[in-house]
Amino acid sequence: MDLSLTPEQEMLKTAVRRFVQQEYPKETLLQIASPTEPTPDAPWEQLTQTGWLGILIPTEYGGEGGSFTDAGVLFEELGRGPVPGPHISSAVLAALTLLEGGTEEQKKEWLPRIASGDVRMVPAITEADYGWLESDVRLTAKVTGGELRLNGKKAYVYDGESATHLLCAARSEESNDVGLVIVSADGVGVSTRHLPGFAWNLSEISLENVVADFSHTLGGEFAGAWDALERAEAKTIPILCAYQVGGSQAIYEISVDYSRTRHQFGTPIGRFQRVQDQIINLLNCLDAARWTAYEALWKLDIGRDASDSVHLAKAVGSEGYYEACNYAHEVHAGVGSMTEYGLTLHTTASRTLYHYLGDPKFHRRRLADALGL
Amino acid sequence: MDFEPSYTPEQEEFRREVKAWLKDNVPSGIVQPADPIDLTEEQYQMRREFGRRLGAKGWLWPTAATEYGGGGLDVDHAVVLEEEVGLYDLTIPPFYDSGGRLGGASIVVWGSEEQKKSFLPPIFTGEVRTWQLLSEPEAGSDLANVKSTAVRDGDDYIINGQKVYVGSSLGCDYMWTLTVTDTDAKRHENLGWFMIPSDLPGITVQPMDLLISGGESGAGSGVKNTVFFDNVRVPSFNLIGGHNQGWKVATTHLELEHGTGGRISRNVVVDKLFDYCRTNERRGEPITKDPDAREKLIDVYIEQEIVRLLQLRNYWMRHSSVTTTYEGPQASYLRKTLGLKMSGHILDILGPASLTFDPELGASEGHMEAHARAGIVAIHPGGTTDIQKVIMSRRIGIGREIREKAGALG
Repeated sequence: MDLSLTPEQEMLKTAVRRFVQQEYPKETLLQIASPTEPTPDAPWEQLTQTGWLGILIPTEYGGEGGSFTDAGVLFEELGRGPVPGPHISSAVLAALTLLEGGTEEQKKEWLPRIASGDVRMVPAITEADYGWLESDVRLTAKVTGGELRLNGKKAYVYDGESATHLLCAARSEESNDVGLVIVSADGVGVSTRHLPGFAWNLSEISLENVVADFSHTLGGEFAGAWDALERAEAKTIPILCAYQVGGSQAIYEISVDYSRTRHQFGTPIGRFQRVQDQIINLLNCLDAARWTAYEALWKLDIGRDASDSVHLAKAVGSEGYYEACNYAHEVHAGVGSMTEYGLTLHTTASRTLYHYLGDPKFHRRRLADALGL
Repeated sequence: MDFEPSYTPEQEEFRREVKAWLKDNVPSGIVQPADPIDLTEEQYQMRREFGRRLGAKGWLWPTAATEYGGGGLDVDHAVVLEEEVGLYDLTIPPFYDSGGRLGGASIVVWGSEEQKKSFLPPIFTGEVRTWQLLSEPEAGSDLANVKSTAVRDGDDYIINGQKVYVGSSLGCDYMWTLTVTDTDAKRHENLGWFMIPSDLPGITVQPMDLLISGGESGAGSGVKNTVFFDNVRVPSFNLIGGHNQGWKVATTHLELEHGTGGRISRNVVVDKLFDYCRTNERRGEPITKDPDAREKLIDVYIEQEIVRLLQLRNYWMRHSSVTTTYEGPQASYLRKTLGLKMSGHILDILGPASLTFDPELGASEGHMEAHARAGIVAIHPGGTTDIQKVIMSRRIGIGREIREKAGALG
């Protein structure tokens, strides 16, 4: 039993933390989040230079071949920002889906470019009737000769706007199987619409008579693609949870600081037990999310069946980040709601990530199934 | 990271040795009453006898030093022992002895060499059972406010006062306690910590009538008692840590009692609840198939997993000497709130069958009924949930730059 990080992981943690502080300071994150200001390109270009986008991609495909726990450490630190994607969507979920279900040619074609950041491949799975089950996919694919014609709309696509390519779930009109088709995000018939409001990097993507070569279907066929996606999701979820842990850790630290420096009634507000309760609740959410996430990562690393741990981690992690933000707002009151303070970056992220790859209710049900209840 | 104890071939050899030994030495006929108050004298003596057999092997307190009667084993061996004994639904020690667990640790840290040689071997070999005597009518959450006194008289101290929520049914051999040794000294600098033979003249034990007793790890305690000290003469040799040093000594066992020791055992009540819901039907279907019950069972499962992981983290931190701050009281807080939440969920899922140990209608041989009572009562022993949060706040440094340190565990 050893719950510590390896020296290499500690070094990675330090390096990523320094990177986030330098390239993604609060001012930059606020600028990226602003609907009116232009998004600076430099930080993302710096991120692609680090090689970290290839952390899970095997070395033979141009990646680093790291472990799931390594990826957890990396994304926990990115979550402290929170540094916006498309990293988990492309470098983790799409890359793992290719590894699970792609042909050798597809792996060779796409994985090195995903690792280098030249390709940002974003899975487009969900639709207006939001859900992560195969039965929720309605967008149609018609096969004519060696070609596919895709019609329909994908909704609530996380990182959709920053994609160069989509990994689009589509239902075959012939076989009714759901396949995953690689589509260029700026191809003819593809249009992306940003969803305004409290949503974080979500968009709707319409596909109107989009033509794709059949060879761009994951694995070269529709059958089996969904299973590959689910296996990849199960491996992505604990990494997403680590990202949420990083977010909760960051707001925990600013909340403790604020409890010391903010004075009311002539004393630091942290002297009030009502305020202490908020921070303790926040910390309990954080630690529950941390250890459920890392236990799932460990199980993935040693090749053990992790299905129950994955559902547990997502249920606890998503609820934890969401609640942690609420508690931090209670500590900060009005100041926390000021955009320039930075807490709302997390609050905004926590709401969208609550649903991404399945909300807590969904994973609780699947946990019950996994436990054989 | 590695969330499991790793077993070397040498440890697997040890496991085989333990398995074989337990097969020959666990007395047959040990039962686990739903409410520890139903533990009979005969059953208790079987557990004590098993404890002495373990003690002779150094397996009763496997990680304690051999020179004081412990096993001198490392954590990975202790884990093997706990796991194997756990297969018999037993714990180490197999009887209620939180006084030995906590007091033993304090004596290890604060006792003189003579005191260690005198007091520790009987505990670690299972010859004695020890009670802790802390709370008083005026000293609950504010433990340092104890009023009982120890007045120096020649080579002895004369102890007077009253302690509450003490011990178990069926008596003990030693008691340890915290009393005022200097009525003029400052708070926290006015106390003494004494190890006292329970058969000294002037000690009276009177059972209390409580909803249930519980909350301590390991075997349940049964009844709790009021203990009166009426001019009890105790040799000064039995004062641990020195005159007016009692609070320092207490920080060690309080730290452990607040959860910093960590645990690797499963929550037995959760297992029994799930078993019951899988094997019993309501309206022709297993209880687990009812959507409302399912939701609550998953709720219990998730929170139990969180508590398991945090206790595992604490266990690892303690045994790899990682400095702890808030982690002990955090695990204690969450374990207790889980217990209370569970009793609510069990009430929902099972209805009034969870409120009776009637042999025909009561759920799970009375285990659910016992938990219905324990859920609320167990919130308080070893520091209330609110006190755990107070300690967490100080350790984290909420609203303060200087963070309180955890008690010394040696």
